[in-house]
Amino acid sequence: MKRILRLPRLLRLTLLFFIVLAFQNCTEQKIKEGTDETVNITDYLRQNEQYSMFLEILDLTNYASFMNTYGTYTLFLPTNEAVKAYLKDVGASSLKEVPIEDLKNIAKLHILDQKINTTDFTDGKIATPSMYGQYLITGASNINGISSITVNKVSSIVASNIEVGNGVIHVIDKVMRIADKTLAKTIEDNPSLSLFTETLKATGWYDKLNIPINKDDKEKNYLSVLAQTNDVFKAAGFNSLADLKKRYSHLNDPMNPKDSLNLYISYRILPRLMYLADLAVTPALETMAPLEVISAKLDKETILLNEEVFNGVLEKGSSVNRDLSDVTASNGTLHLVNANFAIKKRLPAPVYFDFCDQPEFRKLTSIFRTAIGGRQSLAKSQFSDVTWDGTDVITYYKDPANGGTVGFGWHGDCLEINRLRDGNVQNIAFKTPVIIKGKYKVWISYRAQTTKVGLVKVFFDGKELPRQINMLEFVNTSSIPERVLESQGYKRHVSPTSSKMNCRLVGTIDVTTTARHTLTLQSQSAFSAQAWFDVAEFRPVDMDQLYPKFQAGGDGFAPIP
Amino acid sequence: MQTKIKTILAIFIVFVSATSCDNYLDLKPQDGIVREEFWKTKEDIQAAVIGIYSSLLNSPPGVAGDLPMSEYLFIYGELRGDMIAPGANVTEDERDMMNTNIVAANDLTSWSPFYRTINYCNTVIDLAPTVKDQDPTLSQDQLNHFLSEALAIRAYLYFTLARTFKDVPLKLTATLTDVDNFQLAATPQKEVFAQVIKDLKQAEAYAVESYGDQASNKGRITLYAIEAMLTDVYLWTDNYQEAVTAADKVINSNKFKLIQTGSSTWFNTVYAKGNSEESIFEFQYTTSNLGPFYNIFSLRPEFLASANALEDVFGIDFTNPNNKDIRGEYASIVPGSNQIYKFVGLTNDIRKELQTADTHWFVYRYTDVLLMKAEALAELNQGAEALKIIEDIRLKRKAIDMTAQVADPGNKYDVINYLMDERAREFAFEGKRWFDILRNARRNNYARMDILIDAAITNAPADQQQTIKAKLKDPNSHYLPINTYELYTNKALVQNPFYK
Repeated sequence: MKRILRLPRLLRLTLLFFIVLAFQNCTEQKIKEGTDETVNITDYLRQNEQYSMFLEILDLTNYASFMNTYGTYTLFLPTNEAVKAYLKDVGASSLKEVPIEDLKNIAKLHILDQKINTTDFTDGKIATPSMYGQYLITGASNINGISSITVNKVSSIVASNIEVGNGVIHVIDKVMRIADKTLAKTIEDNPSLSLFTETLKATGWYDKLNIPINKDDKEKNYLSVLAQTNDVFKAAGFNSLADLKKRYSHLNDPMNPKDSLNLYISYRILPRLMYLADLAVTPALETMAPLEVISAKLDKETILLNEEVFNGVLEKGSSVNRDLSDVTASNGTLHLVNANFAIKKRLPAPVYFDFCDQPEFRKLTSIFRTAIGGRQSLAKSQFSDVTWDGTDVITYYKDPANGGTVGFGWHGDCLEINRLRDGNVQNIAFKTPVIIKGKYKVWISYRAQTTKVGLVKVFFDGKELPRQINMLEFVNTSSIPERVLESQGYKRHVSPTSSKMNCRLVGTIDVTTTARHTLTLQSQSAFSAQAWFDVAEFRPVDMDQLYPKFQAGGDGFAPIP
Repeated sequence: MQTKIKTILAIFIVFVSATSCDNYLDLKPQDGIVREEFWKTKEDIQAAVIGIYSSLLNSPPGVAGDLPMSEYLFIYGELRGDMIAPGANVTEDERDMMNTNIVAANDLTSWSPFYRTINYCNTVIDLAPTVKDQDPTLSQDQLNHFLSEALAIRAYLYFTLARTFKDVPLKLTATLTDVDNFQLAATPQKEVFAQVIKDLKQAEAYAVESYGDQASNKGRITLYAIEAMLTDVYLWTDNYQEAVTAADKVINSNKFKLIQTGSSTWFNTVYAKGNSEESIFEFQYTTSNLGPFYNIFSLRPEFLASANALEDVFGIDFTNPNNKDIRGEYASIVPGSNQIYKFVGLTNDIRKELQTADTHWFVYRYTDVLLMKAEALAELNQGAEALKIIEDIRLKRKAIDMTAQVADPGNKYDVINYLMDERAREFAFEGKRWFDILRNARRNNYARMDILIDAAITNAPADQQQTIKAKLKDPNSHYLPINTYELYTNKALVQNPFYK
């Protein structure tokens, strides 16, 4: 210390200056100005050498800056090897040789403007189309025991769910290609579909399937075709177009939309983009044949078309060939079926829909249609075919045959809805069994009450039927002949008849498609007691509306007197 | 004057500094005990061992975010099986696991509660022997008993981890300080199983036959729990003869039997009350330490039985409602609502309340040993004896004819199918289903992959079924990914190649 003090003044000052300087240097603060250091897509590509070629595509197409803006994107990022393989495929030595339009389309096909993680993938299309407009389909494949998630069937994901600032990246091992062939061309190029192509041309559908999608058109009219190979035709006995014409073309003019051969083809064309995953979850497929639907269901792994139980008889359907289906064309998808199928001509048949016949109620074996019976309530979430507004439960109610409260109904059971009204249970909608198209009279039977209930409106497929049900009204037990009652829209639906039950004609409906439909009940006042519903009868208009009658408390029909 | 002040000051400083060195500079936790003060008497060991059990019931105080161990066991054992459906309160992670849509970021793949309890076991195994020198009243026998409990629980946890994650880090010493090496590579599944067998063998030598009271005999590791675990591991490692031997040690002890009473009493005795004669090892939830089940199955249901479980697994006799499997309706499943009843019911008719829902978690029951023995016998081509065991259980459980199968004793394929179905009925929702499927599917180089694929597509969403099927053809997909957080903290770990 003394030594320092002994130094000359100037030196001391210098020393002090340096010391101060040193301290000041040390305290310089680095202030972090950003809150997040996650890079965006383009920057991520710049940082990772192995994706330089896709980055080059973005640079060439001027999409690079755009992919660096904030947003929610999904990028399917091909590795350099994938891009090289693509170049080899198109016969170019570098990306600059590829026409810029093609590069733009390729780039757009790989980008979605929605963030989609692999956990959202299904067997079908990603709900958001690519920026190019074409939908991408996802799935998984197993090669030599190693499974990968795939996109557009051919590209496997090698690294997934890489989070970047403006979205998510999935790295793929193959560049995805744009589907440039129309459905018509795709079908024509497949030699095993030659007879199908011929038929398409003969009916004029070939040209309709050859129209590319108009990008400006908001109603993107994608189509899906259920085609069948020559072998399938052969198995059904059709070796040539002549055979088909002979069998189906009843007007001898296949170009006429009313000709059965034309309908045969239009029945195989769905006016929507439907991949197999969509078929598997859509029970009734709309077709281009007016008002005709194809039913679809999944049996374990097989998608079965038109497999239905009609009046207790199982009609075998046609299965879809999984391996050859899901072919993407520029204007739709192509699927192949394993067996010939055609529009079924069916005559209207009566449908007796017991409100209690729900698969969920059937599982209540200790009470469901047992001799003693009982009650059990289930909540809305448990039903597959019934839904309603409000949070209350609905109840299965079975009494001993011809006894108790509801034991006089068909099967001795009724569906009980306590407080059918706003907020509790309202607008309760049932999915009916399959009803064949045609005209029907609808009868609703119920157990009446003397008080606390009221009027109920009935809707079929959302359309209100002319008559309401009065839940306060009991059956007419006077000696008026039943035919007279029928003319007034009433009948005694069970035999022996019970004074407690009643049955009301609510209207005549025109069922336009053979399918399952929706029947809705709507309360018109605040019921404060139980409403009990028994059966909804759909009887074809030309059928006897009174007989056969149901067995009261039993499972069958009463003998016709 | 100056010197006087200085002297006084000096004395004062000496006084203050001498006294201050005592307590408040000494850093010891206020709410715990340090190792140097613990591990002195046999009561300390006992406390540590009971601590292990208690960590199996619920997360220890101060640990947040983990589910109770029993819930992990349920999730790992059931979600990827074919008997579960999502309930209204299911989480995204749970749903993803049900749909084979698992990524490493899925929180349910966190194995920390397993390693926490493993460390408790390791601590007992490492430090309990040192007590011998300090507490002369601790006999070698007593010490061995404690060690057998810690060894067996550690073995069971590693067994579960290896069945769930395949290759896992194997840490067999206690982690006592921060300087321990935490960068531990995974050990291949085979070696983990070998270590599990080694531990169980040692535990077997040290084991307790009886603690003297029923609750301890079912709530703590006994010789029979160890034998049950051994049987299980032997089935996974294809040592069938050893499996039969281990199972026979339980069976021949004559301490266990199938209870035959009315359906409701049976349910009440075996499940609602627990610790029955049918039980070997259970997690002892009590009304003051409740399990997670009432919450996840009843109050805010996260899991339901799959829509067809009642019909497909237990069968429904649509003509005679009284003809039913006592394990089905209102034992495993609530018909109609498909709620899982096993852990929330008191009897066939009455449910437990939130405050009284203390149903145990059943790790091993006697029927498990019987059916595991049957499986080993089937693999040893003694199908007839295996079928005899199955038939006996079916008779006592009043299984209905609809679920009976005609299996040719000489046909291993048939016998195993029957056995799998019977196990599904017997252990519905007890965290066994997925492991049963996987164990039988993977045997002989995945000769029975069909079991696994069939199970997976039974409940797969229609629009994901094909993807799920293709994924499951890769054996690596049968094991969970290592959680992202673990990969981040332990650089020696390598992710399962399926989860790219």
